[in-house]
Amino acid sequence: MRWKISTFDFFEILTIIITFIVIIFTTALILAIVLKGIPYLGAAFYSEEVRFSIRLSLYTASIATLICMLLAIPTAYALTRTVFPFKKACQMIIELPLSMPYLVLGLSLLIIFSSDFGKALKELGFKVVFDKNGIIIAQTVVNLPFAIRFIRTAFEEVDERLEFISGSLGATKWERFITITLPLARNGIFSTIILTWSRALGEFGATLMLVGATRMKTETLTTSIYLNLATGDTGASMASATVILIISLLSLFLTNWIGRKNKQESRMKDVNRW
Amino acid sequence: MVNAMVEINNYSVQLGKFKLNQINLNIGEKEIFAVLGRTGSGKTVLLESVAGFYRKFSGKVMIQGIPVIDVPLEKRNIGFVYQDFGLFPHMTVFDNITYGLKIRKMDKGVQKERVDKMAEILSIGHILKQYPGTLSGGERQRTALARALILNPQLLLMDEPFSSLDPATKENMYEQINKIHDIFGCTILFVTHDFNEAQRMADRIGIMVNGELKAVRKSTDLFEWCQDEEINQFLGRNYEGSVHE
Ligand SMILES: Nc1ncnc2c1ncn2[C@@H]1O[C@H](COP(=O)(O)OP(=O)(O)OP(=O)(O)O)[C@@H](O)[C@H]1O
Ligand SMILES: [Mg+2]
Repeated sequence: MRWKISTFDFFEILTIIITFIVIIFTTALILAIVLKGIPYLGAAFYSEEVRFSIRLSLYTASIATLICMLLAIPTAYALTRTVFPFKKACQMIIELPLSMPYLVLGLSLLIIFSSDFGKALKELGFKVVFDKNGIIIAQTVVNLPFAIRFIRTAFEEVDERLEFISGSLGATKWERFITITLPLARNGIFSTIILTWSRALGEFGATLMLVGATRMKTETLTTSIYLNLATGDTGASMASATVILIISLLSLFLTNWIGRKNKQESRMKDVNRW
Repeated sequence: MVNAMVEINNYSVQLGKFKLNQINLNIGEKEIFAVLGRTGSGKTVLLESVAGFYRKFSGKVMIQGIPVIDVPLEKRNIGFVYQDFGLFPHMTVFDNITYGLKIRKMDKGVQKERVDKMAEILSIGHILKQYPGTLSGGERQRTALARALILNPQLLLMDEPFSSLDPATKENMYEQINKIHDIFGCTILFVTHDFNEAQRMADRIGIMVNGELKAVRKSTDLFEWCQDEEINQFLGRNYEGSVHE
C-alpha cells in the first residue's frame, strides 16, 4: 500500500506546485496594474474624461449584451432543437468569427458601414462610423459568436427527454422552452450574460477600427487606456485599467456565485466533503 | 381486434448498433399489455417508439388510427413514466405533479384537490415540498407515477414503474393502477422484469428478444412451451412442463 500512497502524493504535490506557479504569475499581472493604478484612482474618478469613458463603456456594453442575448438564445435554440437544411454549415458560419482577429472583424464592419448601405443608414439618422452606435455594433459582433457557442452548450446539456416528458404532459414547444429548457440552462445563460458584458467592456480592436479613438466622443475605458498611454499620461491609463480590472473581478465573482448549485435541489446539501 | 388503441405495423428503428426490428403489435382499447425481455432487448425503445419519440424509422405506429407522429406531442394524451423517472430537477414534487395541470391552466383549488388525492393514493404527501434530487428511489418513482396519472391519459406507458418499490407498496400500486384503469378505462403498456407482476397486471404479455417482439401471449399462458429456445430459456424453462423458479 505504501508505494501507492507515495506515487499518488508525488503527483498531487506536482499539481499543487504548478498551480502555485500559475498563481504567482497571475497575481503579478494583477498587482502590476493595481499597484500602479490605485494612486491615480481617486483623481481619475474626478476626471471628467474617465467618468465619461466609464459611462460610455457601461452603456455600450449593456446594450451590446442585451442585443447579443436576444440574438443568441433563439439561434442556440434553433441550432440545438430544430431540424433545418445545412444546419452544420450554418453553425460553422455562425462560429467562424470566433477564430477571426477582432481587428479584422472591425475592418469588415468599417467596409460594410462606409458603403452605400452605411450611408443610407446615416441618412435615416442611424450613424455607425465614428459614433457610439458603432461601439455597440462592434461589441455585439465580437461577442455574438461566443454567446451563441456558450448558450448552445448550455442547451445541449439539458436532457431532451425532460422536454419530451414536458411535451407529453401537454406543454407546447414554447412552454417546454420556458418551463424546462430555459430554467435548466439558467446558470449557463447567466454566466454568458456576465462574460459577454465584461468582454464587451474590454473590447478594443474592432471598436478602434469602426469608430476610431476620439477623446470624450468614442472614448471607452479601453480606448482611454490607449489614448492616455499614447500621450504619455501613464497615470490616467493605469486608473482606467484599474477600473476595468475591478469590473472584471466583480463579474468573475458574480459568475462564481451564480455557478453554485442550488443546494435545495440536491441531496448533497448536508454534506460538505467526502 | 376491432378497436385498436395502438397499432404497430412493421416498425423498425435503428439506434447506433441496436435495431428494433419489424415490430407488429395491436393493443386493444382498455387493454393492459406487459413487455418482458432481457436487459438491452429494446423494451424502452419500444415504449418510446409508441410515444413517437424517434424521428427516423420505418413502418407505422398509430394511436386510435392516427399516425402518432402526425399529432403534436402535447396533444397525444400519453402518460409516460420513464425508467429513470425523468423528474424535473428544478421543481418541487408538488410542481412536478401539477405540471400538466398548470399547463392546462387548471384552477389552483382543483389542482390542490387532485394532488392531495394522488398523494394519498401513492402516500407521498410528506414529500410534496422536496426537490427530486433529495428523494429516495421509490419516492421518485411514485412522483413520476403521480405526474402521469393525474392527467388521466388515454394511453399510459410505463417503463418498469414499480421496480424500486417494496413488496407492500407494490401490492398497493397494483390495486391502485387497477382501480385507475377501471375508472378511466385507459390503455396501459408497461415494461417489467417481474413475471409475476406481468401476469397479475396484464391481459397479454409480449416478450422481446434482441430488438424483436418474439412472442405475444395471454398472460395466463405466459409459460407455455414453444419451439423458440431463446424464449424458453428466458422464461426459465428447459423442457416441457417444468418451470425454474
Ligand atoms: N440512442 C441510442 N443510440 C445507440 N444505442 C441505443 C440508443 N438507445 C438505445 N440504444 C441501445 O438499444 C438497446 C436497447 O435499449 P433499451 O433501453 O430499449 O433496453 P431495455 O430493454 O429497456 O433494457 P433495460 O431492461 O435494461 O431497461 C440497448 O443496447 C441500448 O444500448
Ligand atoms: Mg429499459
